Amino acid sequence: MVHIWPIGGGKGGSGKSFLTSSLGRLLAGLGKKTLLVDLDLGSANLHTLVDVPYPEKSFSDFIRKKIPLLEDVVSETPVPNLYIISGAHDNLDIANLPYEQKVKILKAIARLDYDWILLDLGAGTSFNTLDFFLISQNSMFITTPEPTSIENVYRLVRAIYFRRIRHYFNATDFKALEEEVLRQFGEGSFNNPDCIMEVIKEAHPEKNLLLENDFNSFKFKLVLNQLRKHDNIALGSQICKIIEKHLGLQVDFAGNIAFDDRVHDAICQRVSFLDRYPYTRTAYDLRELSKRIAQFTGQQLLIRYT
Amino acid sequence: MKKDFAKLNYYEMLDIKPDAAFFEIRHAYNAALQIYEADSLVSYSFFSREERKEILNLLEKAYSTLINGKGRKNYDNQLMQTGVLASPGNKAAARKPACIYDVKRQSGTTVLPKNNKAALRANVAQNKRINEILSKDEISGADLKAIRNELGVAIEKIASETRIRMDYLIGMEENKIDRLPAVAFLKGFVKSYLKCLCVEPVEGICARYIEGLARMGKNNETGVF
Repeated sequence: MVHIWPIGGGKGGSGKSFLTSSLGRLLAGLGKKTLLVDLDLGSANLHTLVDVPYPEKSFSDFIRKKIPLLEDVVSETPVPNLYIISGAHDNLDIANLPYEQKVKILKAIARLDYDWILLDLGAGTSFNTLDFFLISQNSMFITTPEPTSIENVYRLVRAIYFRRIRHYFNATDFKALEEEVLRQFGEGSFNNPDCIMEVIKEAHPEKNLLLENDFNSFKFKLVLNQLRKHDNIALGSQICKIIEKHLGLQVDFAGNIAFDDRVHDAICQRVSFLDRYPYTRTAYDLRELSKRIAQFTGQQLLIRYT
Repeated sequence: MKKDFAKLNYYEMLDIKPDAAFFEIRHAYNAALQIYEADSLVSYSFFSREERKEILNLLEKAYSTLINGKGRKNYDNQLMQTGVLASPGNKAAARKPACIYDVKRQSGTTVLPKNNKAALRANVAQNKRINEILSKDEISGADLKAIRNELGVAIEKIASETRIRMDYLIGMEENKIDRLPAVAFLKGFVKSYLKCLCVEPVEGICARYIEGLARMGKNNETGVF
């Protein structure tokens, strides 16, 4: 069975691509056939982190039907067992993906034959990112111990909720739902998934059941990256606790990853941090995380497209 | 999906069990403050200003109620009336610390547990073969061994319980007079052996055994007896 893991987190610069490439290297090192997919469309740079500076093929080739099968867009990397679908040299307008093409990509990804597929998602809460998140029940949020980053994680979690709810309604029903929520809870309440769920519970009990089922089956993981020595090590579990208590969504804390200046050095020299500095705290944390993640299992492809 | 914080009871707000001790309540309150305080990193941007204020007020109220013995009792009664909390009758008694050293423990040297002794005694009374042996005028070492085997007690067990050396025990069972200690000691050993197997009457059997040995000694003319 293929395990698809979207890796994202609201804010840019929190280490999504670094984490994706490191986990990819570690999982490949365990002998698992691992594919990295750069879905940070429009600002792709995962290929640089796995030492493929000039990928010959990219997403654009698939989208523009130059290459009909997504399998053929996969490039090999210097690391055994590790493969990449790069977004380098994409068209400059790829960030604004039409919905049909996005569905095409998602379906193609789900059909790929790999042990592990890690999706490197972009920052922000655009529909692209959210839909790629919802491809799997597993997914990983990454945040740094800074208010800006944590703020964006909360936003992302709520946005994913919102997006999932939207999937179950067509445009007119959704508009009606919005009006009903506004009528019951007042101005601004439509930004609050809790209020929307309240209304759905009464107006569409069958959809409420499906949604609750979905939300219960999500297995989100939180990773706290760039943790400095003086930071609160309990922060990650506290964040998970507050999300569970106030949003009713289960998020498991997957671990801290220590901050290390040498990550910057390794990226600048374009070498693998794990190979260059294997005995650092950061490398240890990454190895622990990969071991833990290798144990998790979950169903893939939740999205139902009509 | 969302649980309304205001609808939780005080214990749920603080994430503690209804039988939490006072120090646990204090810890839970401090932990909650770490999460909900205005300058907390954890809940940054999670709540609006009003929501945060409301939550902090509720926490304050929960803490001040529960930390006060009388207030807590009243609150528990309220919860019990609404059925949220089970009445104390059904609640298991609070766990007490267990003693590492049990002063009441009996310092007997018995290896066999007490109930085992009772079982042995019953066995002796019921076993036909043992009764046959005991009704004999003279009791030899072989008879002792037969009794022990009937009861299923290993000779090592007797050795560890009575602290009699193994070679003496074997000598007793095999009538090896030259290996046995002086009569004064031997009497004591035989009595312990019989006590260990719960065979009665100890004195009588012991005397019959010693007699038997003495006769054998005369026949062999070893001169011990």
